[in-house]
Amino acid sequence: MVNVMKGVLVECDPAMKQFLLHLDETLALGRKFILQDLDETHLFISADIVETLQARVDDLMDQLSIPVHDKGL
Amino acid sequence: MSESSKSKSLNLNPSPTLQCKDLHEYLKSRSPQFLETLYNYPTICLAVYRELPELARHFVIRLLFVEQPVPQAVVTSWVSQTYAKEQAKACTTLSELSVWQEAPIPGGMPGWMLAQSFKKNLKVSLLGGGRAWSMSSSLEPDGKARDVSFLDAYALERWECVLHYMVGSAQTEGISADAVRILLHAGLMTRDAEDGSAVITRAGFQFLLLSTPKQVWLFLQHYLHTAERRSLSAAECLAFLYQLSFSTLGKDYSTEGMSNNMLVFLQHLREFGLVYQRKRKAGRFYPTRLALNILRVRCAAPLEAAAGARGHLVLETNYRVYGYTSSDLQVALLGLFTELIYRFPNVVVGVVSRESVRQALRGGITAEQIIHYLEQHAHPQMLKSETGGIRSASMLPPTVVDQIRLWESERNRCVYTEGVVYNQFLSQADFVVLRDHARAAGVLSWQHERARTMVVTRAGHDDVKKFWKRYSKNS
Repeated sequence: MVNVMKGVLVECDPAMKQFLLHLDETLALGRKFILQDLDETHLFISADIVETLQARVDDLMDQLSIPVHDKGL
Repeated sequence: MSESSKSKSLNLNPSPTLQCKDLHEYLKSRSPQFLETLYNYPTICLAVYRELPELARHFVIRLLFVEQPVPQAVVTSWVSQTYAKEQAKACTTLSELSVWQEAPIPGGMPGWMLAQSFKKNLKVSLLGGGRAWSMSSSLEPDGKARDVSFLDAYALERWECVLHYMVGSAQTEGISADAVRILLHAGLMTRDAEDGSAVITRAGFQFLLLSTPKQVWLFLQHYLHTAERRSLSAAECLAFLYQLSFSTLGKDYSTEGMSNNMLVFLQHLREFGLVYQRKRKAGRFYPTRLALNILRVRCAAPLEAAAGARGHLVLETNYRVYGYTSSDLQVALLGLFTELIYRFPNVVVGVVSRESVRQALRGGITAEQIIHYLEQHAHPQMLKSETGGIRSASMLPPTVVDQIRLWESERNRCVYTEGVVYNQFLSQADFVVLRDHARAAGVLSWQHERARTMVVTRAGHDDVKKFWKRYSKNS
């Protein structure tokens, strides 16, 4: 017998993967979404969470970015 | 088998890039019947011939005067084994363009034979003969002859009018409903849901950053697509365009002997600045550089350079951009990916910020396009300036270029692919069989042998599922 699950394969760097695991554990998106932890750089997640997740990752990048120039208005 | 989620197609990578086909790619996408009609025009035959790979040109010339099919083995023997790859490429190109067809030879060998109409009309264009160009009939010297620089300025002005309309400047004069229809058809603009006004789309933004010859060619491709609806024959229009591209800049041509359809087409070309006519009924027209460059989409000199307008953008290492321009169009284009902070009569100052670049990226523009645009329009002063000891091929400050690329890649830190995971195989052998099948079909996205887990793409799932059912029944 073989088990089959539909979803989305995510490929990312190890740091990003840890962030996704963290989101999953702390239920930051309201529920668990990781279907299977594949390896260092791959995760298998449920398809309906992708958009929320993308927004969340974007937020993270926003927090990380520091303006490198001043407008000098 | 359990299915965990409904099949809903997700748009995971929503950044389709605008395709700009060259002549061959365009022709390949059309039907063989259409090509057959096209090859009735000597100008098109010549244009197609000139764009062929070198080996293919060689084949055509060798076959041009042979009246019977030539065995494929003979064609193969013309090229030494070392260049088999080039030869195969040349052969497929010729087949794809229907320049030659497969023809059986008595004795059962497969042979090649040039398409009749192509053969006949290429001979005409290479050796002369046939009907003279209707438009080259002798004309009285024009009392108000126009020189090259006037034509360049005219073409630039007309074309900018179209672009201007796209960036949504209020100025709507000088653009006809027909042109708007083409923009809508091409998906470069779309009707606003609320008030029905045309607004620019994602593809439209990318279109704006292309070089002018590419824009013209892309625009004309869509024009030809809609040509039939206007009771114009696409083949006839294309033939006329190519006739134009073989004409001389700064020379006037007669409209005498042109069919009514072509006169209509000429008026459209006049609107976009591909030809200049003083009056609708002037009886003569001047092709402009826009028309001449249609053939050379890949390597054409930009019109702006010819028209004497030089680059106007200065990009500094502190992410500031100075644009020495008074054109609303240029300012609007710059505004696509920079935050504008000052505007003076002839200078505009902006800053390339993360937000503004992300805005552009969201609009479907790629980092490469932004950088290319900045390079293409760099102020001559930029070419002189030192890059601070850092060797780079570009005249732009490397810090800014790298940062723009980083901003793009930061949006793609995760790659999402829809797929189906298979796990909990009972035996290693089962896993290996199924994995190898998926790999051979090219649908395997990830696998781990020890965990006996594999992921196949959504598209490949049905096939793999069927295979598995058959396999497990047999064993």
